[in-house]
Amino acid sequence: MISSLFEIFKSNMMQIPIIQPIVDYLMQIPVVNFIVALILWRPFFAVVIMPGLAALLLYLLYIVWFERKLTARVQWRVGPLEVARPIRGAIQALADGIRYFFQEAIVHREAHRPYFVQLPILAFIPILLPIAFIPAGEVVGIKSPYAVQLVVAFLALIPITIIAIGWASNSRFAFIGSIREALIYISYEIPFIIAVISMIYLYGGGDPYLAVEKQSIVPGAIMNPIAFLVFLITMLMATSRLPFEIPEADQEIAFGPFVEYSGMLFGLVMTLAYEKLYIMTLLFVILFLGGWNGIYIEALGDLNAPLWLFIKTVIVISILAIVRSMYARYRIDQTLRYSFSWLIGLSIVALVFGIIVGWVA
Amino acid sequence: MKEFHIEVPVEPPKELESLFLPIPKDYVEDVYRKDEFLVLVGPQHPGSGHMRLIVRVKGDIIQEVIPDPGYVHRCVEKIAENRLYIQNIPLVERPSIMDSANFNLGYVRAIEAAMGIEVPERAKFIRTILAELCRIGTHLYDAAILAVFLGHTTGFMYPFGIRELICEALVRMTGARFTSSFIIPGGVRRDVDEKTLRWVYDATFAIEKRLKSFERIFIKNPTVIARLRDVGVLSKEEAINFGVVGPFLRASGVEYDVRIVEPYEAYEEVTWDIVTADEGDGYARFLVRVNEVSQSLSIIRQCITSMPEGSHISEQIGDIRGSFFDKFADLVLPAGEYTTLTEAARGTLVFTIVSDGESNVPYRMRIVTPGWLYLRGFMESLKGERLADLQAIYGSFGYFPPEADR
Repeated sequence: MISSLFEIFKSNMMQIPIIQPIVDYLMQIPVVNFIVALILWRPFFAVVIMPGLAALLLYLLYIVWFERKLTARVQWRVGPLEVARPIRGAIQALADGIRYFFQEAIVHREAHRPYFVQLPILAFIPILLPIAFIPAGEVVGIKSPYAVQLVVAFLALIPITIIAIGWASNSRFAFIGSIREALIYISYEIPFIIAVISMIYLYGGGDPYLAVEKQSIVPGAIMNPIAFLVFLITMLMATSRLPFEIPEADQEIAFGPFVEYSGMLFGLVMTLAYEKLYIMTLLFVILFLGGWNGIYIEALGDLNAPLWLFIKTVIVISILAIVRSMYARYRIDQTLRYSFSWLIGLSIVALVFGIIVGWVA
Repeated sequence: MKEFHIEVPVEPPKELESLFLPIPKDYVEDVYRKDEFLVLVGPQHPGSGHMRLIVRVKGDIIQEVIPDPGYVHRCVEKIAENRLYIQNIPLVERPSIMDSANFNLGYVRAIEAAMGIEVPERAKFIRTILAELCRIGTHLYDAAILAVFLGHTTGFMYPFGIRELICEALVRMTGARFTSSFIIPGGVRRDVDEKTLRWVYDATFAIEKRLKSFERIFIKNPTVIARLRDVGVLSKEEAINFGVVGPFLRASGVEYDVRIVEPYEAYEEVTWDIVTADEGDGYARFLVRVNEVSQSLSIIRQCITSMPEGSHISEQIGDIRGSFFDKFADLVLPAGEYTTLTEAARGTLVFTIVSDGESNVPYRMRIVTPGWLYLRGFMESLKGERLADLQAIYGSFGYFPPEADR
């Protein structure tokens, strides 16, 4: 059985010319060759290495540091510096993570204990599942012509786990936070889905390959700028970033649904929004910024596509990080009014626009 | 919307009994029987300050807020009864360390009124500069707290960065960043030389320049305006009835400023405008204080340019160098009650000293701080607003529990 698995892995391996000599050498060693073949097996590489888990962790380390550093620069401060001074505190997020890991995770008496502990971990399922469907060139976990729709469907599951977290916490502020999460969930989800549908109409299907192929000359952001705008704003709402940081407004309701969490569990729920942002930005790059299209470097071979996708994603998120230091928080009723009037109106315009462009093209 | 009442036995949570809430027991049951919700904000909450706010909400709308202050009550009035008059000067600064010079000034003026001490012109001007510097510092501090209550961290950092200039100016003039205890009966402790005054004069322009970037990022920010406009409105009549004071009264359209009504120190000799607004909402309360900062900067500049020559301490006291405690330790006020009104940064400040005429400590000292005076108006303005507005209105009032609790 192992040999048949090995054959499956070997038949669909990443071709990266620059590390090919090392791979060839390692493939001659008995046990190591199996591991190397597994890592370089395209579905595995897509889900676990890039743009999957390993890239996600790398991105988390980077974005937490970058956001703090950028905010500090705007605010006449220095930002994280003491952890690893020579690299300007770049592993601050790692240090925080280790601290969270060893901190006592308190489960208070009123909490629904099983759900309270399980839900932060369960919340990772809808975050990690979309990665299996997001392709990067030839590197893809599960190839599906409905990948875009599937990713949107999985993204819609994340707020449900957050609402459940608030319910399991059984606290006043967690309760208010979950209600705000539920309200904002409805208010961003509708324009978000309409914006995605407009792009599906434009490309003629929910296949990422089709979308990227159509964007080989003009990116989707120029083909349908209104959908681009709606997607961008709903992305801020969905990941509760300022000015829409309403469900976890720390000065008003003290981190809302996550108020009772501490230790490692808090570390898990704190990164939820960042991971959701990563998935949404991957989708955003595929739909609007030409996906993995980029300058082809011969030496990297199959690694080109995931690398371009990852680089574009990180650049988009780095640009989004600046809104945190620019805006105050809106109120929930203002956000609802804004979203149910302007955003839905804009998204419907984008839909009409997308249908017309898709029909003409 | 129509309401339906069903008779279900309601049991309010047990923990509400053990929290010693300043509300009747059946109030909690009453709230739980209706479709309302009791949210206890504070005292350990990022947006409450050192006090508890018992917020009764219906849906997202605040029905009533009952304050539970007193968590930072430090018995300033009682301690003052056991200390010499001169030892009380550092004590009375403590309720509001940001606004120390104004508190200091109010207390010292009460002593001067009792003793009949004439303050020389130069000391008056230096006192005015100190008071206005502290006023700017307090307004910047309150703006920073307002910003962080709205989730705007840049708006929090900028005023604190600007306030460093104020602290530096106070360091150069008095030797301490705040709570300098520089104002003493009869004048000020030391003379301020020309070079320092020049530095303070230049610093006012530096502050003005930095305030422009604060204005770009925070004051004119559309999200900030959306959060503060038409929120927590107090009409002119309401503001007067609830006894609101200071810039918050002026934001409701009442032209009342102790510096104009009963001028003290050098306020008569400089020209400045009384800043008012008509809206009475959170944004007006904020803007009034922002505009007051520029008025204060102008007052400081005028004071420095027209600084009179002369002694920094009254002839009746004489030179205090090396003999500070000999001069002031046996200070005994004539019997009577002496009250002064001061316009502190957050509003009218009342100092009353009651002396029995024979002891060298006050028989009774009474401080009525502006925070305590406008607490009622603050609570009334919250009614009918949304729960998220609680922090916005809190910040727009710049309520400071240590000052109110004394």
